[in-house]
Order: sequence, then C-alpha cells, then structure tokens
Amino acid sequence: MPATDGVRILVADDDADIRDLVEFKLSQAGYTVHAVPDGMAAWDAFRADPPDLVVLDVMMPGLSGFDVLRNIRESEHREVAVLLLSAKSRDSDVDTGFAVGADDYVIKPFSPRELVHRVNGILARTRG
Amino acid sequence: MSGRHLLVAAEAAVLAGCVLLALVVIVIKVVRGQRQRRHEAALRPIRPALIEVASGEDEDGSARRALTATTGATRVAVDEGVADFLGKVRGGPADQLVEILRSHGALREAVRLLRHRSPVRRTRAALLLGLSRDRGGVPGLVEALDDHSAEVRSAAAHGLGLIGDDGSAPALLGAIAGPGGGIPAGVAAGALLELGVGIAPALREALASTDSRTRAVAAHVAGVGSFRSLLPLLRDLLAGDEDLTVREASAEAIGAMGEARDVDVLTRHTNPGEPTPLRRLCATALGRLGEPAAVPTLEQLARDPDPRLAELAATALVGLGPEGRAALAGLADTPGGATALTLARLQGALA
Repeated sequence: MPATDGVRILVADDDADIRDLVEFKLSQAGYTVHAVPDGMAAWDAFRADPPDLVVLDVMMPGLSGFDVLRNIRESEHREVAVLLLSAKSRDSDVDTGFAVGADDYVIKPFSPRELVHRVNGILARTRG
Repeated sequence: MSGRHLLVAAEAAVLAGCVLLALVVIVIKVVRGQRQRRHEAALRPIRPALIEVASGEDEDGSARRALTATTGATRVAVDEGVADFLGKVRGGPADQLVEILRSHGALREAVRLLRHRSPVRRTRAALLLGLSRDRGGVPGLVEALDDHSAEVRSAAAHGLGLIGDDGSAPALLGAIAGPGGGIPAGVAAGALLELGVGIAPALREALASTDSRTRAVAAHVAGVGSFRSLLPLLRDLLAGDEDLTVREASAEAIGAMGEARDVDVLTRHTNPGEPTPLRRLCATALGRLGEPAAVPTLEQLARDPDPRLAELAATALVGLGPEGRAALAGLADTPGGATALTLARLQGALA
C-alpha cells in the first residue's frame, strides 16, 4: 500500500452519485478528498490550494474536464497529476484526454477498486 | 361578426392557449419537483449505505442487509437509487447492487412492467433489465423488440447488448426490419457488438437477408468485430448487392479485416464506372488494409478529377508504410497530395 496520509485529491464531477462515491472510496483508501460539482469550482479550488492529484469528469457544465486540464497544464502547478473519469469511451476521446495532458483515463462505468489502484499508481510514479 | 371582432376573438383564444400551456408546464414542474424531493427524502437515510455498497466497501455485508431490509417508499427509493448506480459502476459492487434488486423482486417486476401500458415504464423496465445483466431478462427483452413504441424497442435492444447473451443475436438482427420501423441500425449494431464472437452464424444468415438494412448492419458488425470467416460473403455483397449502402458497408468491413488478395477486390470498385461514394470508401479501405500492393492504385486515384476521392486516396497512402509515404511525396504538386501531406505532418506521421 502506498503512503496516503496527507495526500490531497480534488474530485470534480457534476453527477452527485459519482462524486460522493469517489470521495468516499478515496477517503476510505486514506486520502484527503475535496469534491466539487463542476469545472469552474474545480479550477477555483485548484488555484486556491493545488492538490496532489485531480480526478476530473470530462463532461461538466461550464468548464469541461478538458478545459480544466488545459488550464492546469498551463499553470505554475502544471506537474499535478490528473486522472480523467469519463463516460466518453471512444478511442478519439481517450486520445484527446492524453493529448491534453492526462496522466490516466478511466471510462465509466468503472470499478471503484480499479480507480483506487490507478490513483495509487499515478501517485507512486509522480511522487517517486 | 365583423373581421375586427374575429381578430380579437382569435387573439384571445391564442392568449388563453398560451396561459393554459404555461400553467400545465408549471404544474408538471411542481409535481416533478415534489416527487424528486420525496424521493430524495426517502433515500437520504440510506444513501450512505448505498454509497458503501456501490463503492465496494461493504465488506461485512451490513450495508447490503440494511438496504435489503427496507420497505414501502424507502424500498422504492432504494431500488431507484440502485438502478442509478448500476449504470455507473461495474465489477463486484455492480453484482452486489443487482443482488439487492433481486431480493426486492425488482427484476421480476421489471419483466412484468415490460407489458405496462405506459411506454415510459416499459422503457425504464427494459433499461433496468439490461443494467442488471440478468439473463432471466432476455426473453422479455426479445419480445419487447417488437413493441409498438420505438423508444421501448431501442431500450430492449440496448438492454440485450448489456446482458451480452449471444443467443439474442438472431432476434436483434430480425428486429432491424421489424414492425413500426424496427430498431435503428446504430442501436442494433451497438448491441450486436456487445455479444461477442458467438454471433458469427447469425451474422452469416443476416448477410443473406432480404432486407437491405439488415444486410448493411450485419456487414458493418462483421467488419468492426473482425469476423474474418465472413469475408467471402462480404466480397460477394461488395461486388453485386443491389443496395449501395450494403456495398459500402461491405467495402469498409473488407478494409478493416481483409487479406492481401482484397487489394484487387477493392481496387476493382474504384473504377470510374462505380458510384462515387463507393469509390471513395474503397480508396479509404485500401489504406486501412495496410497492404503496400495498394500503392499504385492509390497513387493513380490521388490524381482523380474527383477532389474528395483524390484527397482520400492520398491520405490512405500515409498508412501504407515507406512505399506509401514515398508515393505521397511525389504527389505534393496535387491538391489532394498537398492536403494529405499537411495532415500527415500535423499528425506526426511524416518527418
């Protein structure tokens, strides 16, 4: 198990079910989770207090997940890891996600257990 | 009554209609809002348990027991909440959620609701059965493929795809030309592609269907699913089907999974005597085939008077290895070649 104490994760999803589920699952895994309901709130939260990793839905009102990811990659905290969690499952969607700078891409419906493994993996790689 | 009076009366009638319509909209919104609030209120006490199960954290089964033990309005809210989560999670948590529905008799009820007089209820029942991935729902969903509501038919097809029982392939293919317009080709194809390799015999039969839409869907699915055993039939359809869409779908399928000998097959249908859409599709299919033997044909097509065909042929060359890219370099003076070169450079396919 990777060290999760003190690791902060920002979760953004406009679907309350997914948002609550991911927040609960990652909290149970030991992470400190802050969940927000849309892209604008995600970008505001990111700028106010950059987390260690961001879990972003792609299709959100206002700023999309791709928009938030682009903003992150152009910010001074561009190194923060980002995992996209989306129902957009076409190869071209996944290609776009990685092209914009995602560290991983998980397609909905998803396995919550697998999501935690992916988050652990990204953090192990990016935090050494 | 004068014309002026008639005009005033008509205006009053239109105004009254507008007011009535606005009232109906308001009432519907209020009723829906109340229903949503009742649902949320009923769900609130047990939502933590629902989240626990859906996240796979219910290791001792206490949350499942709590959800299973609910009654009355709370049970209805639980079943609706479980159905919502079923489309969002997969794996062990999804199986546990289905068990809750099964213990409540919700899946049996969904089968019964497939015959409800409301098409909305029938559609929801079909979707729930699909999301549950319970094979017990297959017979009811197959029957629902003939429903008189197009929404129900599509939901039933989608549900059958989610369940993934290859035995439902003949019914899905048969429903494309079913009563009331059947099911949309895209919905049928999407569902069929979820059923795995066991549908080859059904596809073979469908390629010989008297209905052209069924043949086209079967050809498309054969290509996307790489059913290579169907290549001989697809070559026949490309060569001689009476319906252009079927020929196009066959060309695409051959391009997706064909063999070296299919360079000649596809090349034959790029001749100027063939319909323009088919020539264009065959050019693209030659590129997808990935055989360098297609380079001379594509090189020639890249100079065709049809600018779109020329562009597609030049673009197809990009995927044909060093031979294709060398040929493309020689086409830089043509509009199609120049476009393809630019695109290829943008995509990083050329240095």
